[in-house]
Amino acid sequence: MSSEKKHPFQIIDPSPWPLVISMGALLLTLGAVLAMHNKDFITLFIGALMVLGGCGGWWRDMIIESKDTSIYTKEVKNGLKIGMLIFIGTEIMFFVSFFWVYFNASLFPPEVIGSVWPPKGLKTIDPFDLPYLNTLLLLLSGTTVTWAHHSIIEGNKKDFTLALGLTILLGLSFTCFQAFEYYHAPFLFKGGIYPSTFYMATGFHGAHVFLGTIFLIVCYFRSKTQGHYTQESHTSFELAAWYWHFVDAVWLFLFISIYYGSWR
Amino acid sequence: MNEHTPHEHTPKGWRRWLLSTNHKDIGSMYLIFSIIGGIAGLIFSIVIRMQLAHPGGTVLGGNHQLYNVFITSHALIMIFFAVMPGLIGGFGNWFVPLLIGAPDMAFPRLNNISFWLMIPALIMAGLSTVVGMGAGTGWTMYPPLSSLTGHPDMAVDFLLFSLHLAGVSSILGSLNFITTIINMRAPGMDFFKMPLFVWTILVTSALLLITLPVLAGGITMLITDRNFGTTFFDPSGGGDPVLFQHLFWFFGHPEVYVIILPAFGIISQIISTFSKKPVFGYVSMVYAILSIGVIGCGVWAHHMFTVGLSPSATVYFSAATMVIAVPTGIKVFSWLATMWGGSIRFDTPMLFATGFILLFTLGGLTGVVLSNGGMNIVLHDTYYVVGHFHYVLSMGAVFGLFGGFYYWISKICGRQYPEIWGRIHFWMLFIGVNMIFIPMHFVGYNGMPRRIPDYPQAFAPMNYIASIGAYLTAFSTLIFLGVALYTVFRGKKAQSNPWGVGATTLEWTLPSPPPYHTFETPPHIGGDLHEHK
Amino acid sequence: MTRILLMFLCQIFALPLFANQPTEWALYFQEPATPLMVRLREFHDYLLVISFFIAAFVFLMMFIIIYKFREKKHPVPATFSHNTPLEIVWTTIPVIILIFIAVPSFKITYMMDHIPKSEMTVKVIGHQWYWTYEYPENKIVYDSYMIKDADLKPQDLRLLSVDRPLVVPVDTVIEVLATSTDVIHSFAVPSFGIKRDCIPGKLNQTWMKVFKEGTYYGQCSELCGSGHGFMPISVKVVSKEDFKKWIEDNKNKKG
Ligand code: HEA
Ligand code: HEA
Ligand code: CUA
Ligand SMILES: [Cu+2]
Repeated sequence: MSSEKKHPFQIIDPSPWPLVISMGALLLTLGAVLAMHNKDFITLFIGALMVLGGCGGWWRDMIIESKDTSIYTKEVKNGLKIGMLIFIGTEIMFFVSFFWVYFNASLFPPEVIGSVWPPKGLKTIDPFDLPYLNTLLLLLSGTTVTWAHHSIIEGNKKDFTLALGLTILLGLSFTCFQAFEYYHAPFLFKGGIYPSTFYMATGFHGAHVFLGTIFLIVCYFRSKTQGHYTQESHTSFELAAWYWHFVDAVWLFLFISIYYGSWR
Repeated sequence: MNEHTPHEHTPKGWRRWLLSTNHKDIGSMYLIFSIIGGIAGLIFSIVIRMQLAHPGGTVLGGNHQLYNVFITSHALIMIFFAVMPGLIGGFGNWFVPLLIGAPDMAFPRLNNISFWLMIPALIMAGLSTVVGMGAGTGWTMYPPLSSLTGHPDMAVDFLLFSLHLAGVSSILGSLNFITTIINMRAPGMDFFKMPLFVWTILVTSALLLITLPVLAGGITMLITDRNFGTTFFDPSGGGDPVLFQHLFWFFGHPEVYVIILPAFGIISQIISTFSKKPVFGYVSMVYAILSIGVIGCGVWAHHMFTVGLSPSATVYFSAATMVIAVPTGIKVFSWLATMWGGSIRFDTPMLFATGFILLFTLGGLTGVVLSNGGMNIVLHDTYYVVGHFHYVLSMGAVFGLFGGFYYWISKICGRQYPEIWGRIHFWMLFIGVNMIFIPMHFVGYNGMPRRIPDYPQAFAPMNYIASIGAYLTAFSTLIFLGVALYTVFRGKKAQSNPWGVGATTLEWTLPSPPPYHTFETPPHIGGDLHEHK
Repeated sequence: MTRILLMFLCQIFALPLFANQPTEWALYFQEPATPLMVRLREFHDYLLVISFFIAAFVFLMMFIIIYKFREKKHPVPATFSHNTPLEIVWTTIPVIILIFIAVPSFKITYMMDHIPKSEMTVKVIGHQWYWTYEYPENKIVYDSYMIKDADLKPQDLRLLSVDRPLVVPVDTVIEVLATSTDVIHSFAVPSFGIKRDCIPGKLNQTWMKVFKEGTYYGQCSELCGSGHGFMPISVKVVSKEDFKKWIEDNKNKKG
């Protein structure tokens, strides 16, 4: 029975990427254990390459498909948007676990750390130093990304590329400042519950900023060198912008609770 | 991307399976995976029962750590590698698109990676049992037993990464299901016309998406505690071991509803089909499913009544837990009312559905006993709890699996199972599981703690009965395997609808087995599928 | 078979046939030895009756259905799929039942939590895999190990008897503090109705008041590694005079 397709949804041919990524994930996790226990990094490295390569191939396929409007119908794009929203929802729950730990420790500080928060004798980071600058950077990038969004909706590709480029620069400088802050932080990852929660929460946030930046960079080059995106069709940029706003919002929570909340 | 070239439609050979983007093929792979997982879990449970058949058991050579490794693997394999891939990955993949008239899942590639991530997860779980001292933490993995204090070698790290992989798989799968159900329903398939199985998959997916990331965060912190010197759960550095329990059960409790809801859905479909009556009270069934999901997210600390909760927390968690009995009761009574006045055929799927209702009710009632904060102190961590959760898991969820298997196998492979052998399988399993788990309640009352490889003489007789029952379930599973293999290769060719007028859902309008691509022209859902307002 | 039946009857009528240790073929709790456990057992009897009727109702309906609505007996199915009053009934009745369960249940919860004025304190510390008992008021500290199979004497219970049980006086409110030095353990004595997790870095609290002399047994109730099944708890409850003597005897001994 081979009837003609009469629905708007995407039917995809067999794809090698899921298998490549899964097997890469096996090596990656296996390698992580070996690296942590035996200082043997080769498996980890191969696994990471496979995962990255698989993701790249997958993404490339999707970009190729997205140019064909008979595949990327309104319904398919709608599906992608729903998927992205759900994904952001689970990411929020992921951060909930770190905030849970943070509030558990900071609202009920145990005796070992002197029953106070931040722990006795620990110098925390001044929120109105670099973190404040970073907050401003991220907030600003939130506005530039919205500027980009409005420009593309109005069909103004020049402004779009400009605003997108600015967003990326802001994101990159955020990451640099974050790295600088880590490098000069007065405490180490190992130093007890405060550093643990601090690095875990800000570190995972940083990783998300980094991912979001890559997402935006891909959008940038698609627009700049490939001439993708039109007034009607810019779904992937829209998803990247949503993701960026999510990262932005998480930072505000981090800033208020972890930086400002542990300030003495 | 080549939907214009029809010859590409049915890929052949290894590409079809390894690189699959077809919901039916992926569903079939999940089902096979689930059966293999179920057998692995069964083997672990049989070794457990052999060890416990007599006091002073020596089956594991007196290696008590190994016993702990076995119960850990048994639980994780049964839950993550047998029941979830079967109910959600297998039947969900096969039948959610068919039941809503969609041509496939929303993200076919994502669907494939959900399946293929299960293989590394299983390999990592397998490694965790054989490396070093093995992971003997119980499936709950409480630190400090699971930190360097209790398990210094790499076994636990393998286990934690295995859960990460299985977790990513479930998250991507759930995301896919929700998007499919929201976005791809055939014209006319309103939310309140969707068959109940679709509803249960929807709520199950939502539960997974909400709770799995929290577990992922928890085990990530456990990994850094173990390997990078953080002190999230280490009291000497200001951490809190009880916190891990909160994070675990925030996932762990909804997880049990993740497991049981799809089974509920399958049971609803079976009962309506074989009673030749529409589901009674469809709308309240939907709200019951939704409220089980919502309330289920707020009851987790009923697993922690002995850690020293405040009395107000105890009372809150007791009360919230009990409330779940109400929507579950609605489901049980609605099933009975669906059957009432019907013209019921007791074929194998219906036998499993009937058994499900009876045994699940018993398991639910012991759950309500456990939910009383005070009562729980006496029964917590005894075999009474083991009895409770096997009634809902090994009878509830597993009966759902087998019921779904017999109900849908003719649709999946185009051949019908031999009825008489299906019934023999049912009765052996039914007798077997009751023989295992009824006596566990008695030794539990009498004080036998769980997770012990050897026990005082007083508990011997009951444990012996339980072990005999376990051997019986092993035989019944051999029969099941025979039935499954016979059906797939030799079974009688099946018509598109073997169950007659009761089978009203969309999958029965398709040939058996359905073509590679279904609903290329969306079906039009007119009228009232469930004849409800 | 008659033995099972006899045991069953004894259980039902709660004859004082059972001692304070687990028994073969037992179907129910060990004999209560604290007022708390008496309350709990009564409460459970009550729960059991309720559960029995709910289960009986579901089973009965199912058997009626199986009998009356088989295809052979009832070839033409009805078509109804709604009955709002009925649905309201089967929503409200469970709610009412649950309220009847919850009220006494919560009373017990508060009773357990409210420690009457304690007359003495014992501290139990879990280790992999033995217990340390401490009497802070009298500065007595000693370890308690399970008796290995090879050293069992005829009166000992395998996997339950220990070399040095916890000794406490009868009819005395005893505050129990529980903690651990390595992984989580749980201090549990079924016939007292107590079970408290021993968590490193945390001091948990519970209490008991035993009204009958004798030796009582429990087992560690939180998975704590390979010796989890082999760190039993044995509590010897003695008269107040004997306890005083015991304190005097042990006060200055190094344990
Ligand atoms: C499929 C899995 C599943 C399901 C559905 C349930 C359902 C329930 N569970 Fe269970 N449970 C587990 C799996 C499950 N559980 C597991 C795996 C554990 C142990 C984990 C571990 O420690 O390893 C556990 C442990 C567990 C505990 C902790 C025990 C302990 O460790 O001390 C508690 C305590 O509250 C509990 C309660 C309940 C309740 C109240 C329900 C309710 O949802 C049941 C509701 C159903 C009914 C009540 C029956 C039908 C209703 C009627 C006929 C209406 C009339 C009834 C009344 C008015 C009462 N469960
Ligand atoms: C879904 C979950 C599940 C299932 C099915 C089972 C099934 C069984 N379990 Fe298990 N068990 C757990 C989940 C499960 N268990 C958990 C969570 C624990 C707690 C672990 C811990 O303490 O950490 C536990 C602990 C546990 C213990 C306690 C160990 C201890 O505390 O010391 C024992 C002891 O007897 C036991 C025995 C058995 C037996 C005899 C079965 C038998 O019923 C087995 C018979 C099996 C089958 C009949 C199913 C076969 C299924 C298939 C072949 C798949 C079919 C697939 C399709 C049709 C698609 N289990
Ligand atoms: Cu100590 Cu279990
Ligand atoms: Cu629970």
